[in-house]
Amino acid sequence: MRGCSGGAVADRGDGVADSRGGGSDSRDGGSKPEGGVAGGLRVRRFESVLIALGALVLTAAAGAILLALGGHHPGEAAAAMVRGAFGSRATFLSITLVRSIPLILAGLAVALAFRAGVWNIGAEGQLYAGAAAAAWIGLTGAALPALVLVPAVLLGSLAAGAIWAIVPAFMRVRLGVGEVITTILMNFVGIHLAAWLVHGPLQESRGVFPQTDPIAEAARLPRLVPGSRLHLGFALALVVAAGLAVVLRRSRFGFRLRAVGESPEAALIAGRIDAGRVLVVCFLLSGAIAGLAGGVEISGLTFALYEDLSPGWGYTAIAVALLAGLDPLGVVVAGILFGALQAGAGAMQRDAGVPAAWVGVVEALVILAVLALDRLRRVRRRGGV
Amino acid sequence: MAGGGERSRPTAFGGGVPGVPGNRGPNIRGAVNHRQPEVYSLGDGLAARVRYAVARRAVTDNPPGKAPPMLRTPRPLLLLATGLFLACGAPTDDEGSIRVALLTSGPVSDAGWYAGAYEGLQRIEQELGATVSHQQTATPAEFDEAFLAYASAGYDLVFAHGNEYQDAAIRAGEQFPELTIVVSGGGRIAENVAPLIFRLEEGSYLAGMAAAAMTRSGIIGMVGGVAIPPARGTFRAFEAGARSVRPDVEVLEVFTGDWNDVAAAKEAAVAQLSRGADVLIHNLDAASFAVFQAVREARAEGRTVWALGMNSNQNDVAPDVILGSAVIRIADAFVETARMWQNGEVGGAAIYASTRQEVIDFVFNPAALDEVPPELVERVAEARVLIREGSLDVPRVPFIEGEAGVQ
Repeated sequence: MRGCSGGAVADRGDGVADSRGGGSDSRDGGSKPEGGVAGGLRVRRFESVLIALGALVLTAAAGAILLALGGHHPGEAAAAMVRGAFGSRATFLSITLVRSIPLILAGLAVALAFRAGVWNIGAEGQLYAGAAAAAWIGLTGAALPALVLVPAVLLGSLAAGAIWAIVPAFMRVRLGVGEVITTILMNFVGIHLAAWLVHGPLQESRGVFPQTDPIAEAARLPRLVPGSRLHLGFALALVVAAGLAVVLRRSRFGFRLRAVGESPEAALIAGRIDAGRVLVVCFLLSGAIAGLAGGVEISGLTFALYEDLSPGWGYTAIAVALLAGLDPLGVVVAGILFGALQAGAGAMQRDAGVPAAWVGVVEALVILAVLALDRLRRVRRRGGV
Repeated sequence: MAGGGERSRPTAFGGGVPGVPGNRGPNIRGAVNHRQPEVYSLGDGLAARVRYAVARRAVTDNPPGKAPPMLRTPRPLLLLATGLFLACGAPTDDEGSIRVALLTSGPVSDAGWYAGAYEGLQRIEQELGATVSHQQTATPAEFDEAFLAYASAGYDLVFAHGNEYQDAAIRAGEQFPELTIVVSGGGRIAENVAPLIFRLEEGSYLAGMAAAAMTRSGIIGMVGGVAIPPARGTFRAFEAGARSVRPDVEVLEVFTGDWNDVAAAKEAAVAQLSRGADVLIHNLDAASFAVFQAVREARAEGRTVWALGMNSNQNDVAPDVILGSAVIRIADAFVETARMWQNGEVGGAAIYASTRQEVIDFVFNPAALDEVPPELVERVAEARVLIREGSLDVPRVPFIEGEAGVQ
């Protein structure tokens, strides 16, 4: 199941320190003297830019053809898309960056898990668990001051996300059940739990619509830029990304995590690392970060729990994490890119009259192009370097 | 924010639109409340203008020099954006024409609720010469975003087609005082946010009369989706209409909990048919076909049973089993609302769309008319007139904030 990058690592011969490409290995390379590192580094940097450009060109071409086939003006649609994402400071801050927040956080959750060899496909369910906890705390703690309530909401969503990861983690470590299946199943439980909550115990006090009452003012995240919709969640996402980057690269735990991710057996034999423990910690941490994504969405943006809160962020996050080469700082960039894509997609509907379904197709094309080119790079490197 | 008292005073269509083509029937214009335009105090207007200026500044482009450096768009991207922008031409902002937008949470190809709204938007474009735009939103987070985008693009009027938009609409209404938002089936009111309430109860009351007149067993059934107040209201009215014709009629009711669950709806319909019901009405979306199918199968067994359509004219959907439909003419309501907005009559109160403007109606299926006694058709027509005049009270379940009976 794992091993999508095992080959590249084995070829390099420097054991566990290397990882799946992107920026992370370049810095690891510095601490491990090895012939040709400097040259390879430059080539690889160049390569990732090339891949991004290639994906852009490929998607633009395919998208243009599709739009033209659908009877829409490709140039007009592209202009609307760019305008919707980067057209003004307001659209960039209030739409693109706001949309990137849950994608970055869930992307970090996925990247962390994948680095440890945990295939956590359950970010979506963990996100809903975190959102439900945030809504519940934000509703019941209305009497508390903001200084207490906001941290309580965030901690609650972290905890709920981690709790949602306990079952798959336990089944993986103790029973050997593949977490791909269990996390997907937990997604359904999480999504339907949220639906039940807004139809049942947490439904708004009038009992009319399937949503919760608005959470207390004191439970809401402050705006990062006054006058825009950009909230503190974006700063939180950056902090989590920086924290993960440092932990992965500099700490002992980060080393163990990467070791287990590359090969649990080797980690046990060569490093006497308890793979099971590392896996469980990673799994719970990953779940907690995904839960935070849901909590931040509630306390920063929607202020109430809804049935269809997430348009599948937990799944898009997988594409975000893979595009970023599982590098935490790369996830931030990839998250903003996907945020821009979605923001632009909305504008494509509004300004160019492209129907939603068509927009979804173009979005999927971008993801496919990026993933295909990324894979191409890896295959080439495995054979060539 | 919302209000009791004067705020929730109902508005109706047509006031102050003399001689506008497209109105149906001569007595529509006569039977309206002439609503006085809102008079703002100087203080109010000033505050609103200041708020608007602040909001406008927040959403329009800052001169590049003024933006804090860390928040600026990366230069290459900006260049790319500008390049594409110039290459493809900026959107033309024709002065004078109004800008109207529609938000839906589902595809406008559904041949029902959303399709009706889209048709309304297109008619607003044709009949009022408006610049129009539509976006299909997927999540609550997108609701705010869409309002923001339309407000900063200079749109005047946004139709948010569903109660799910109401909270975001209230937030956007505060932030963009120049924007007017109409929320279909909404329950909250603000200065520039108005719920558009379709009084489908009036249609289902007439359907109830038809059902009670046609039943032989004396048992009729109702199959609903989610038991939200507007849906429960249509069933209360159906029951009342039935009892007005036949006081001893027995009425079965079930809510499946899902507008689109075909299997659950079929099961519920079959259960009611086997309990002796011989006229079924529904309040479902895609699952309504299951009710028609259940009735069709009962007919194949030799029983004389009928189904009633709801929400849109479904007479053509299953002409072999449908007696008639309680319809909402959403497009008409949208065009009328846009006209009212042009006269400054939208905002601060709920807008009711009812039989009075012929937005709500009951239409017998022409294919079934042979089997319907002419006295019934006449009686339903008479009741329709009484409802329009306001002399026949149709029960409804209240759900608008500040309205009597709502918490």
